[in-house]
Amino acid sequence: MLRRLLSLYGLLFFVFIYAPILLVVAYSFNANTLNMMVWSGFTFDWYRQIFGYETAITDSTSYVDSSAQLYAAIRTSLTVALSTSVFASVFGTALALAVARFRFRLAGFYRTLMMVPMIMPDIVLGIALLIFFITIGMNLSIMTIIIGQSTFLISYVFVTVSARLADLDTSFEEASADLGATPMQTFRKVTLPGIAPGILGGWLLAFIISMDDLVITYFVAGTGNTTLPIHIWGMLRRGIKPEINAIATLMLLFTIVIAGVGLYLRSRRTK
Amino acid sequence: MTALDGVSLKLASAEFVTLLGPSGCGKTTLLRCISGFETLDAGDVLIDGAAVTQMPAHRRPVNTVFQRYALFNHMSVARNVGYALEIAGNDKATIRTRVSEMLELVGLEGMEKRSVSQLSGGQQQRVALARALAGKPKLLLLDEPLSALDKNLRQKMQQELKAIQRELGIGFVFVTHDQEEALTMSDRIAVLAHGRIQQIDVPSVLYESPANLFTADFLGESNLLPVAIDGGQASLADGQSFATTCASRQATLLLRPEALGLAKPEGPKLSFSGRIAETYYSGKDHQITLETAAFGTVRALIRSGATAPEVGADLTLHAPASGLHLIDEVAE
Repeated sequence: MLRRLLSLYGLLFFVFIYAPILLVVAYSFNANTLNMMVWSGFTFDWYRQIFGYETAITDSTSYVDSSAQLYAAIRTSLTVALSTSVFASVFGTALALAVARFRFRLAGFYRTLMMVPMIMPDIVLGIALLIFFITIGMNLSIMTIIIGQSTFLISYVFVTVSARLADLDTSFEEASADLGATPMQTFRKVTLPGIAPGILGGWLLAFIISMDDLVITYFVAGTGNTTLPIHIWGMLRRGIKPEINAIATLMLLFTIVIAGVGLYLRSRRTK
Repeated sequence: MTALDGVSLKLASAEFVTLLGPSGCGKTTLLRCISGFETLDAGDVLIDGAAVTQMPAHRRPVNTVFQRYALFNHMSVARNVGYALEIAGNDKATIRTRVSEMLELVGLEGMEKRSVSQLSGGQQQRVALARALAGKPKLLLLDEPLSALDKNLRQKMQQELKAIQRELGIGFVFVTHDQEEALTMSDRIAVLAHGRIQQIDVPSVLYESPANLFTADFLGESNLLPVAIDGGQASLADGQSFATTCASRQATLLLRPEALGLAKPEGPKLSFSGRIAETYYSGKDHQITLETAAFGTVRALIRSGATAPEVGADLTLHAPASGLHLIDEVAE
């Protein structure tokens, strides 16, 4: 009896977590244009609309945002995510190496300092960055988005690479040095291959979070730099339209693919 | 914190020296000072007459076999063994020849393509050895390399290491906490404790006539009995005495368990009577714990073959007075 209750609890738990997401996926194929909560038939219309196919213009679709705007938002998001994740990977890895491998005063303090941006409320970081950029007279642009997101994404890379470094015994690096390798050679031939899965994981994580970030980006984007989340947010303010479900489903798919590739590469590396 | 204090160690070329001591005695730290992974507050490290004290680890002409081997998992056996040569910028053909030479030396012919994670512990040990030797170091450092192997493999590797060292004719500094290992392999042993070298000498001298109580106690089993000395005569607590040249008034007699026997030797001797408290049979001999009135427990090693000693029985054991060794220190 208790076991059954426990199983039921387990089932309900996962329903609670995944049902909303599955609903969005289901609604994205719902042909009902007026009320997406009522199933009226299967359709690919919303996906067609996203990809710019002409569909019959009806009352409900007459205010559809143009696909061009959506594409521009996706392009901005990809540009930002790519730059930010690469930037964060390089600096996050360098920081993790410094904290893990060099002995200096207050190393523990700096480690904590690197964790703080992850727990900092987005809204506080957003406001702070906005004020900072205005104070130093920097115009809000795609550049400020990249800098703004990097401030906390470096922390994510730092954490993933640090975890990997903690597992990489220093004796490997010592063995390399012992066999005559300069610090740079040791880094290239031993340290980097050892932490590569961590760097890759951190990079993908940073990429996904960047693609998804709304709050901080919203503060520092200014006008004319619409990322995908900002674009969706804008669409939502004019009512929940069915193609939002399709966009959300595609984003979900994209994220799953990226995370899947990450996990696959990781498992292959550690063998 | 001082890990090492006033340590002075000089190796002849092609000498096998073991640093022996309990964990935390500073033996690994001393090894790391030689390899360049620890910096000295004072003093110098010289290799082949040249000071390397200020030289970073990667420029020192020494290589190390690490305790857990530290083999590069993402590289093949061949790349591991050839690492030093690759770093030094040798061409591929030279590296290949030297790698197969090294693998042959350690008995892993034809294993070049294997991944190191596919190897057994003993094989990994050999790869680590081959890797450290490939760059022709002037001195090889070994940090408890055999501690992860099981007993049989260990004894085999001990003999092989010794043979390889003789063949190559380079110095080995071997760190271990295993006294048997140290005794069988070394040309000389340095016994370390509390960051100091307690004694350094050839194994037989260390075992038979240790200079201090620590060495006597750490190397092998021992009975340490207090003696009072007066006029060239050392007397035990029960009144037995023997001739000595020791000048102190108080000293400690080292009596190895195997020095005691059932047979009464000719000439001067020491005798110990008591009740057998415990016996252990180990194949070639019996280990006996004798409960004596004057000295408490005395441990002895009796060849098997004679009548087996029984717990509770009374027994008298003798040691010839000729081979007795006095340590000029008083046990606490």
